[in-house]
Amino acid sequence: MSDQVRNGITAGVIVVMVLTLVGLVVSSPSHADRVEAIGSVIRCPVCEGQPIADSPAQMARDMMALIDERVRQGASDEEIISELLASYSGAMLLDPPARGANLLLWLAPVGVLAAGIGIIAWWRSHPRPPTPPDVPRQGRSRRRTLVGGLILAGALGSTVVVAGFFLQEREGPFVGVVSLGTQDLSEVSNETMEAVISANLSDPQINGMRLALAERYFEAGDYRAAFPHFLAVAESPQASPGEAVAALTRLGWMVWDGNQEAGTAIQLFDQALAIDDAASTAIYLKGRVVWCGMEDSGEAARLFSEVLALDGLSPESRTAVQADLDAATRGEACA
Amino acid sequence: MTGRWLRLAGFTVALLTVVFAVVLASRFGTDPGLVESPLIGQPAPPFELQTLEGEGTVRLEDLRGEIVVVNFFASWCLQCQLEHDDLVATSDAFADQGVRFVQISYQERPDRSLAYLAEAGTSYATHYLHDPGSRTAIAYGVFGIPETYFIDEEGIVVGKIIGESNAFILGGTIDAIKRGERPGQSVTGDTQQRPDA
Repeated sequence: MSDQVRNGITAGVIVVMVLTLVGLVVSSPSHADRVEAIGSVIRCPVCEGQPIADSPAQMARDMMALIDERVRQGASDEEIISELLASYSGAMLLDPPARGANLLLWLAPVGVLAAGIGIIAWWRSHPRPPTPPDVPRQGRSRRRTLVGGLILAGALGSTVVVAGFFLQEREGPFVGVVSLGTQDLSEVSNETMEAVISANLSDPQINGMRLALAERYFEAGDYRAAFPHFLAVAESPQASPGEAVAALTRLGWMVWDGNQEAGTAIQLFDQALAIDDAASTAIYLKGRVVWCGMEDSGEAARLFSEVLALDGLSPESRTAVQADLDAATRGEACA
Repeated sequence: MTGRWLRLAGFTVALLTVVFAVVLASRFGTDPGLVESPLIGQPAPPFELQTLEGEGTVRLEDLRGEIVVVNFFASWCLQCQLEHDDLVATSDAFADQGVRFVQISYQERPDRSLAYLAEAGTSYATHYLHDPGSRTAIAYGVFGIPETYFIDEEGIVVGKIIGESNAFILGGTIDAIKRGERPGQSVTGDTQQRPDA
């Protein structure tokens, strides 16, 4: 083989090697490599500190499939990662970016190391001078104590600031918790109360909310909505005596006021009075129904007198009952 | 520099090192699932999903103008079972009040979700949807279930509940949104991330 041929082969081999190297350097990573690379920096949301690329979890496989699809669609790595972070936040990155609060954590070890090296270097370049015999030791000792105290105070202050910063950041997401125990019922809608009642039918504590909701409907004149709730409380074995009396009294009045059914109304008032014979509202309303529905002013007057004999009536109620008693006693028709 | 100065400086460096180590360790312990969702205050990710029965699709865009409550659930999730009755009751109660509940099955075959719902009960007003490939769950940043998102009438995510909710919390959150408030994120309990977890 001539030198010319050998040189030609050598040159050809070199050219091929260079082209191969250049190709390796400039060529973009394969599709699978890109998917794998992106998946290796994203934390699996349903695993413990594992990248989605290495996780067998279904959620991780679904995320890898999404990344694969986005790569096929021509999205850049940054775009794909940004899209995932837009849903999941930066906590999804296995290596937090060196910016913002995280920058402190990245730089801290370097800073501490540099400080240590600086102190040692300074110490070595400034050998300890012999203590002059004429300098009072007490004054130097005070200075050292002062400087030492300042350094310690600074260190402790930094500790508090840094710890407070991070602790505050951790507590942030919990702001805005809707607490069951602290909500004011006046801000709770009828729909929410309906939902709570419907979901807690077997809970004996629910009668209180039922009564509160029924009272809202009653005050609004919506007897159709109030009736089933008052009835449920009246029939509830778990209702307290006070709740049962309140419900039966309202039912009695609605039966009279809505349907003019005096007999049924009086039965309901009597059921309430069988539980609490001093229930002033039940006695008074029964008196009204007896007076207006049964036209028995004598019995009505007796019932109104019974109410006035009870303690605890408000002045307004006492005045109203007294007016009815006077009218019934005179034999007037109810107003 | 005297020996005492040096000791003080060394002590300070050591103290700072310990502080940063503690802070770093505490950061490692932070559950990423509890970090506030970046979606809050942002437009809700759109979706168009088939119903579990496979009869038609539901588009989030078509629900614009209503408060939309998006709940991710599965039959294998205990907390989801515990909150189910409350979701049904709240959906029923608010059905005529411009509020629409959407429950999206999370990593479960539609037939299994349907079998579960047939036993647990459903609300006539709720859309029960299938999410193939977890695309919607990923778009909403779901870490575990149950997770419930609240979207206002303008299509903005204004609230998120992580963990089991109940009718009082669901209704209270809707009431707050109706008052123009943004309830934000709350954590009510644990979530389940996988059927075997």
